[in-house]
Amino acid sequence: MAVGIEVLQTLEAPPWLGAKGLTRCRQALDGKLVRETWKYSPLPKVTDALIDTNVHQEPPVETLPPEAVLHRFDELDAPPKLAIDLGRYPLAGIAAARTGAGWLIDVKGSPSHPLRLHSPAAGISAPLMVQVAPGCRVEIEQETLGSPEADAPLTTNAGFGTHILVLSLAADSKAHWAAAELAPTADRWSLLQAHLHGNAALTLNHQATVASFQRQDVNIVLGGRGASLSSVGAAVVEDGGRLDQQLVVEHASGGTVSRIKQHNLAAGRSRCTFNGRIHIHPGATGADADLSNRNLALDPSAEVNTKPELEIYNDDVRCAHGATVGQLDAEALFYLLSRGLDPQQAQRLLSLGFLRDGLAGPFAERAAEAFAAHFTSA
Amino acid sequence: MSLLEIDGLHASVNGEPILKDLSLRVEAGEIHAIMGPNGSGKSTLANVLAGRPGYEVTAGQASFDGISLDGVEPEARAQAGLFLAFQYPVEIPGVSNMEFLKAAWDSHRAAQGSQPESAVGFMKRARALAEGLGLNPEFLKRGVNEGFSGGEKKRNEILQLLLLEPKLAVLDETDSGLDIDALQTVAAGVNRFRSADNGVLLITHYQRLLNHIVPDRVHVLTEGRIVASGDKRLAEKLEAEGYAWLSG
Repeated sequence: MAVGIEVLQTLEAPPWLGAKGLTRCRQALDGKLVRETWKYSPLPKVTDALIDTNVHQEPPVETLPPEAVLHRFDELDAPPKLAIDLGRYPLAGIAAARTGAGWLIDVKGSPSHPLRLHSPAAGISAPLMVQVAPGCRVEIEQETLGSPEADAPLTTNAGFGTHILVLSLAADSKAHWAAAELAPTADRWSLLQAHLHGNAALTLNHQATVASFQRQDVNIVLGGRGASLSSVGAAVVEDGGRLDQQLVVEHASGGTVSRIKQHNLAAGRSRCTFNGRIHIHPGATGADADLSNRNLALDPSAEVNTKPELEIYNDDVRCAHGATVGQLDAEALFYLLSRGLDPQQAQRLLSLGFLRDGLAGPFAERAAEAFAAHFTSA
Repeated sequence: MSLLEIDGLHASVNGEPILKDLSLRVEAGEIHAIMGPNGSGKSTLANVLAGRPGYEVTAGQASFDGISLDGVEPEARAQAGLFLAFQYPVEIPGVSNMEFLKAAWDSHRAAQGSQPESAVGFMKRARALAEGLGLNPEFLKRGVNEGFSGGEKKRNEILQLLLLEPKLAVLDETDSGLDIDALQTVAAGVNRFRSADNGVLLITHYQRLLNHIVPDRVHVLTEGRIVASGDKRLAEKLEAEGYAWLSG
């Protein structure tokens, strides 16, 4: 990759990453795996933006409950292991090298109030790791607020932002991560990496309206026996918007369960990509996975790419996956018209009905309002 | 001026002629039953009147309340007071029945130049009508027809009929799939709707519905045209003798 390569050479790796780690990132940018997963998104432009965009130095935390303690990586005796696959997510290493920092939140209790993360619309944020102790439970809320222009400290290349969140769930712990991007944001790349130990449970809810470029990488490793994931999400990709969701769920132990449901609506001349891969490791007997991605292409010029994949290395599993791409159901549309609704009203009602199945969590109501506003203003 | 005037109507579906020179008049205050064997064009007539895409009028004309239906969009027909109760009501997950009903009612009021009814008043009215039709008001919170039994779907159609108060109701085999209790409830709903100001076109296969809803006229549709008309005794004759005598 020619773009930004010289600058990449000058970056200094933070201790947790090491010079070897950074070298691996540089090499991976040119690798087949990364090229394949970035097929529908402009990796060179994103890499350039990652190099050029200003960095946030403050911790990406808005509200910290008393049961949670915040540390800078460089204040710790030993930096935590983020367990990010740099061969697949090299941008994580580059972003970390740009910021030179990292943050750890240790949750050693079950807070009654959510841990609220600050997610600026633009700028490079240092990686944040949330570590949940055995048997503890935490609610994590992350909302991307405001327009890129609202982020005053950023004066150059304010049109790009990143966010890296690593979740480490100890045995028998529970975490609920709810994220919303309902206001116009800069172009963004984000990574959610989670590792679950035995019987840990993770719930994900992500709702977004996308008017810019959004690349979302998610890697969930169900590492311990009985670990489970439940993910429900919905997005409206507006005219001119680009959404690229890349999800990898690894069933690395037996008795692990994953349930994934993602509903996306592509409007106008937008592009919406969903690539969801369920990977059942050889020893993961009794794994149970269900992946569903439904897409509504509202306009003929909207582009939808969806690819649910199963990669299974043992026989004792239950796996289901499905993807649909469609337009509004003609029968349902006529039913509404025959009751006097005009075509715009009928389209709005059917579209919101489609999205509603992907709404859950604390931002669900606001997301429904934001989705409704899309059709009011369209 | 009749409420519904159909003159020499020909219509095709996917290029295949179904209705062939059909003529019919329905006056306000009347209930007309349309009977006929399978494939005779009964449902095609209902869909043509409602303006369903794919149903093409190739000759003749139909007018409703003095206005030609030619080129009129389905929603405009509905707003003008033409209602089709579907033979197979569509399930729409994610759209609550109440939300849908309110949107439909608001669109009717808007077409008449009226302000939307308050949500509270409308919901109270909808709940009361649902209970009267033996529908648990909890159904109003569920997705439109989602997971409803066949009978519940048909009751939901009658609920919409009573809420929207159209001038002309076209009931397309509303009695199909109903048990005796549901049939009586649905028939009571239609009789409640019946008034001197509106009309009903009742499409059915069976005379049993006409024991509960007494029609003013009965027509027999065969091969796309009306081949016999009479009073309710015609339905009784069809029940006893079938359709064969009409072609003899």
